[in-house]
Amino acid sequence: MSETVTQTKSFGERILEQPGPALVWVLGLLILGALEMGAIAEVTVAIVSALASAFASLGTAVLGGPVLPSISGSIAGGLESAATVAAGLPDLVSRSVIPNQGYQTPDGVWHGTFLGLEPKYAWLLRVALVYGYMFVFLWWLWRGYRTYVANYRTADWTPRDDMVRRLRSHSWGKFGMVVVICFVGMAMFAPTVSPSTGDQNMYNMNAHDIQYFDEETGSVEEISVLQANFQSASQGSGSQNVGLWQYDEFNRFHPFGTLTSPGQDLFTFMAYGARISLLVGVVAISIALVLAAGLGMITAYYKGLADLTVVFVSDTIQSLPSLLVLMLASMVFSHHWLGKIYNGGLLLAVMFGIVYFPNMWRSIRGPALQVAEEEWVDAAKSYGQRSSTTMRKHMLPYILGYLLIYGSMSIGGVIIGTAGLTFLGFGINPPVPEWGRAISMGQAYVTTPAWHISLLPGLLIVVVVTGFNALGDGIRDAMDPESEGEDTSAGVGATGGGA
Amino acid sequence: MSAVFLILRAGPLDPVAAILGQKQDPVMAHQIRLQLGIIRPDGSPVPLWEQYLEFMHGLITLNFGQSWVISRGTPVMDLIVARAPVTIWLGFWSVMIALLIGIPLGFYAGLNPNTSSDYLASFGGIVWRAMPNFWLAIILSSVLVSSQFFTESLFGVALSWREWLWDTGVIGGPPLDNLADPEQLFAAIKWIMPAAIVLGSSSMGNEMRIGRTAVLETINSNYVETARAKGLSGRIIVWKHVFRNALIPLVPIISGEAFLLVGGSVLVELVFGINGLGKLTFDAINSADLTMAGGILFIFAVFLQVMNIIQDFLYTLIDPRIGYEQS
Repeated sequence: MSETVTQTKSFGERILEQPGPALVWVLGLLILGALEMGAIAEVTVAIVSALASAFASLGTAVLGGPVLPSISGSIAGGLESAATVAAGLPDLVSRSVIPNQGYQTPDGVWHGTFLGLEPKYAWLLRVALVYGYMFVFLWWLWRGYRTYVANYRTADWTPRDDMVRRLRSHSWGKFGMVVVICFVGMAMFAPTVSPSTGDQNMYNMNAHDIQYFDEETGSVEEISVLQANFQSASQGSGSQNVGLWQYDEFNRFHPFGTLTSPGQDLFTFMAYGARISLLVGVVAISIALVLAAGLGMITAYYKGLADLTVVFVSDTIQSLPSLLVLMLASMVFSHHWLGKIYNGGLLLAVMFGIVYFPNMWRSIRGPALQVAEEEWVDAAKSYGQRSSTTMRKHMLPYILGYLLIYGSMSIGGVIIGTAGLTFLGFGINPPVPEWGRAISMGQAYVTTPAWHISLLPGLLIVVVVTGFNALGDGIRDAMDPESEGEDTSAGVGATGGGA
Repeated sequence: MSAVFLILRAGPLDPVAAILGQKQDPVMAHQIRLQLGIIRPDGSPVPLWEQYLEFMHGLITLNFGQSWVISRGTPVMDLIVARAPVTIWLGFWSVMIALLIGIPLGFYAGLNPNTSSDYLASFGGIVWRAMPNFWLAIILSSVLVSSQFFTESLFGVALSWREWLWDTGVIGGPPLDNLADPEQLFAAIKWIMPAAIVLGSSSMGNEMRIGRTAVLETINSNYVETARAKGLSGRIIVWKHVFRNALIPLVPIISGEAFLLVGGSVLVELVFGINGLGKLTFDAINSADLTMAGGILFIFAVFLQVMNIIQDFLYTLIDPRIGYEQS
């Protein structure tokens, strides 16, 4: 969509005319990108190799035999070498720059950590660096938008400007945005922000060894992570507890303490748990949004039978208690291949999407019906435009804002629901970490010194869900100033503790 | 319910394996299949549509068949009836808690907008709503179990929740057979209270928020201004004009609570160790007792439909403008 009506210059011409600000911005972006070159390359290679293996297995399945072993073999080899190259590239925000795992000899010197710092400070420095980098990067993107508005946009004003201005002055919404960014950052950079890695801490505890200084033998000993974890587990009694901000006897630092047997690091567990929470939440909400938007436009456009069918289906779904249906589904599919993908994560996301869509569809139906009555839709129709194009081009932009609001407000419910199901033992299966499982592990220890196991994940859920709800509030108020503080228009959009 | 049937019967779950457990005796397996109505006496499988018709017939006549796993041979309906009272008691009090605390707080906040107590109430409501109730249940139950230590360290007086006023437990459900006796009645209320608070918490936050905005809206409306100009006292305005109108947007929230209660009762009953319907559901699903699970789901679905009808009635009761003919 070009906003140029009076001027005919294209975006490229406008940049050529005044290249200064754009160059500065691109240069900044390149510098920021170069700092993270390794990570970007690694992620790209990972995605490409995942796609390649998927295609290879698909090819094998379709062609009914190992037809292309040599080709896929050479591709795999190439990818492997690419991965090693990628790992060698500089990467500011990675564990290897500021290692925090080491051991302390009796003279008080730390070995193996960054600059000989205490693991605590090394870890803090790394977390600060990650978040600093992330916020600088986002700020730079924001600056890019400002640069575009100031220098290259032909229109002096668009309605979006007002929205941005309202969102900027909405402190509650900004609070939500910061919380959401921190949560997403925690999930994205989970291997970097956590004191231990997921592989070491959860999936392959036996395959990793750590070094520590043994006071009895007076030398540096090696021990497998599994053994070390067993000995540093939080069991509730005074001697067997690694609480908040403490070191265990193997000189490992645990910002949030350890879990019960085997005593994994709680912060690592939660950082990786944020990944799956976010993934399930985003996938579920995307499914629900796509269903709701598609059906909403179809029902508003065609009305009649289509409308009736969707009403029937959504009524059926809504009449069932969602949590129980989810429990039933994850139980029934627990040994099915669908329930095995990402240890039940995909199944859960799909189910949540299906369960959540009727509500969203109902919320979108009103605006969609309204826009379907507009003259421009009528005009497009009489112009002979295909109905799918009409819906996409003339109806979708109008409901997009509502989708954003409901999406942000419902994701909290999905996060809580996932945690609840995992708490019950359905949902996400071990070893994939999920916050609900941490809560259930610590259930018996709430009033003991190991209170952190249950309390912290729960508090984090409260903060994250509040953040998403606040962001949704902010977006709603920004899009529609008349709804300021009016909850009834959002209906049951915001979801909460009921799971 | 057809969807539930499909999940239960056509899904990849094998109930026979769940009943038999590890040892796979073909003779026993045959008997069980026969009993479940999956195969005919001669060993041929019963077609799915016949199973479906039988299942639906059972639902309508409230005959859900017998439990497969949890308590073999007991009719599902008997189990449900035996477990229901505690859950109803819990649900009733959680609704009451939400109504009696959430709405007054919301109205108070709405009548005193932009004061510090308003901000406190609103913020509390928002955070309260975002709390996963199973987590809240865990924290609350653990704190109450060892309440004497907490009160001793905080106030210097050892006060055990267990012994406070009436001697009750913290975990488990109260006996409900003698509610006519006031002593027993209060003990039962106290016993269920922590679970009810947890279960009512999320809807309480909702009611508070919506109550607040509803009051704000009605207070700024023209008829309230007219009433004020007429010289009515503040009390009459609030009770006659504001209160009733502000209740209207709250009706769907209150009936929507039913959904939260049904889902939440599973989690809360599990944590508090209450042997009610929620626990039964959990056990049924966990042990693949499919007739049981189907029966409970049906009961819950019927309950939710009844709540929807009640909601429509409430509308007409509160707001005479909403006629029954129009809807």
